[in-house]
Amino acid sequence: MADLDVQERRNLSASATAHRGDRVFSRTITAAAFSALFVLAGIAIFLGAQTIPVLQTQGLSFLTTTAWDINTDPPTAGIWGMLYGSVLLAVVALVIAVPASLMMSIFMVFLAPKKLASMLTNLIDLMAAIPSVILGLWAFYVLNPTAEVWQQLLNQYLGWIPIFQNASGNFLGTPFIAGFVLAIMMIPIVTSVTREVLSRTPPDLVNASEALGCSMWTMLRFVALPYGRGGIVGGIMLGLGRALGETIAVFFVLKIVFDTNWYNIIESGGGSVATLIVSRFGEISGPYELQLLLASGFFLFIMTLIVNVLANLIVNRTGRLQK
Amino acid sequence: MTTQTLDPTALPNLTEQRPQRPWRKRTPRFKLAVVLAVIIPAVVTWFLWQTSTIPTPVLLVAIYLPMQLIASTLASIVTRGRRGIADSIVIVSAIGATVFSLVILLSLIGALIVRGWKALSPSFLLQNNIYISPSTPLEYGGIGHAVLGTALIVFLASLVAVPIGIATAIYITEVRGRAVPYVRFFVQSMSGVPSVVAGLFILTTLIVTGALTQSALAGGLAYAILMLPTVARTTEEVLRLVPDELRTGALALGSTRARTVFRVVLPAARTGIVTAIILGIARIIGETAPLLLAAGNSDQTILNPTGSPVASLPTYIFNNVALPYPDAVTRAWGAALALMIFVAILFTLARVLSRGRLGR
Repeated sequence: MADLDVQERRNLSASATAHRGDRVFSRTITAAAFSALFVLAGIAIFLGAQTIPVLQTQGLSFLTTTAWDINTDPPTAGIWGMLYGSVLLAVVALVIAVPASLMMSIFMVFLAPKKLASMLTNLIDLMAAIPSVILGLWAFYVLNPTAEVWQQLLNQYLGWIPIFQNASGNFLGTPFIAGFVLAIMMIPIVTSVTREVLSRTPPDLVNASEALGCSMWTMLRFVALPYGRGGIVGGIMLGLGRALGETIAVFFVLKIVFDTNWYNIIESGGGSVATLIVSRFGEISGPYELQLLLASGFFLFIMTLIVNVLANLIVNRTGRLQK
Repeated sequence: MTTQTLDPTALPNLTEQRPQRPWRKRTPRFKLAVVLAVIIPAVVTWFLWQTSTIPTPVLLVAIYLPMQLIASTLASIVTRGRRGIADSIVIVSAIGATVFSLVILLSLIGALIVRGWKALSPSFLLQNNIYISPSTPLEYGGIGHAVLGTALIVFLASLVAVPIGIATAIYITEVRGRAVPYVRFFVQSMSGVPSVVAGLFILTTLIVTGALTQSALAGGLAYAILMLPTVARTTEEVLRLVPDELRTGALALGSTRARTVFRVVLPAARTGIVTAIILGIARIIGETAPLLLAAGNSDQTILNPTGSPVASLPTYIFNNVALPYPDAVTRAWGAALALMIFVAILFTLARVLSRGRLGR
């Protein structure tokens, strides 16, 4: 074999009749493997095709203004408030979920006894498996009354901070509650990635830093966290992608208003593209509104795709971590 | 007589010993400090909770947490000096974050059981929802149609997603074509597609064009988009565990590539692939948004995959949640409990199977 060059070897294997089935096999498999690309391209093309007429009639103000007046002539629509609202919810969720997940994975990797840690891993996986509609149901009936009290207290004691102002006195349907629900969805995703990254800190380095007299904080600060930084950032972004696209859990706890709620996170009313689509679809007025929803879906798709691609690039660069 | 010799059999034990950490020795003083640091804040908070009218959340966040932090800091200063301060803060917040997540999980599971239990009964699981209005008492009507609908939709989704997902994994681990990094990247990106976008895609390509109506098949196709990446990625992980000796052995015996995959590699990874399918099903079974868009809803038992809208557990919950009738809300909790039980069963099944596979 060593005497044959690559071309000859290829000819040999191609001419063997026994390999005809193999060629069919590998072509079929290859075709199937590209179905992920076809679906992604299909989504971009079909939703994009519906976006062009919307941008023609609404212009760029579809992205920069906030309105949903379908019955006027001509109808005007803009999803700025929804796009911004999705980001605001994600920021609230990140502020809650990132410290919680990071500290929890530190607990699981460096502090907890092995049995407790593996039990916690199972519980976190179970938490990740909770369907969003059940989370929404729980948030609507159990979290809402509790969160209402928290927000009233926040407003009472910290109302001088602009983000905790509330003029309406209505503490339900706020971005804070919706962001909290998203944080609950993000915690298991971020924790499982962070835990895996931290548990791959070379034990030699950990032991060495201990032998040198480092405290646990010094070890975390100078060994574990720098070592896992890429994976941790990637995990956070994976959770972020999930939070941006979440629909149903937010639907139950956020009051969608066609107005930009810039920073009043405990004021009733906010926006979310994904939730807009489902809430308007229920009472859709005609083909033009459907087109508007499809266009909103297109921009949601692009937004989450960018976040996910970045997340995957970061996570992949730091090694194979995902299941 | 009493000269000590090194027992050679003790050598392996010596090497297997866990490293001792003399600097981690816990003195009685340390233990006492920790116990005091845990007990004092808790007792003070409990006392305040009993006697004062401070609202519980304020008590926990504004009094207990700072007090616990100060107590732990003091304890670490007493035992280890100023260097222990950061450690004590890390430890308190790590335990706090874990308790926070567990409290949420427990609250959720507890609420599901307490509120959903009332609705669960054999008739609730078996009957459908015809002639049932939101105010009908709980003894009548059920989620039978929704369970069947969910099963039908998931089955149709699996029919599409499982072969393609496994084929994708085979491409990555067995065919190993030039495009492997790209295919992996597309699959990863696909797993980030929001569920509502998957629903919109089916809506605009199949339903608006008139190829399908809102039906189990349309819902199943939307689910398949969400299921495929999970199946592909888990199967890929499993196929990587199949030893290369099996592949080279089969090839050396004269087997073709296709035969090697179908007769050797896939059977060797059988349990793992079943796990992948189960995880895929668990991923999609509670998704609501795609079904609202692509499958619609119905009160009847529908077994025809095309032609008419079909009910499912998530949409049943969705439609009952915000109704102003207590019985309808209890139905929603009952359906949610049933759905969660299905998810938990799938989850446990996957765990048990994968444990057997890895032989731990």
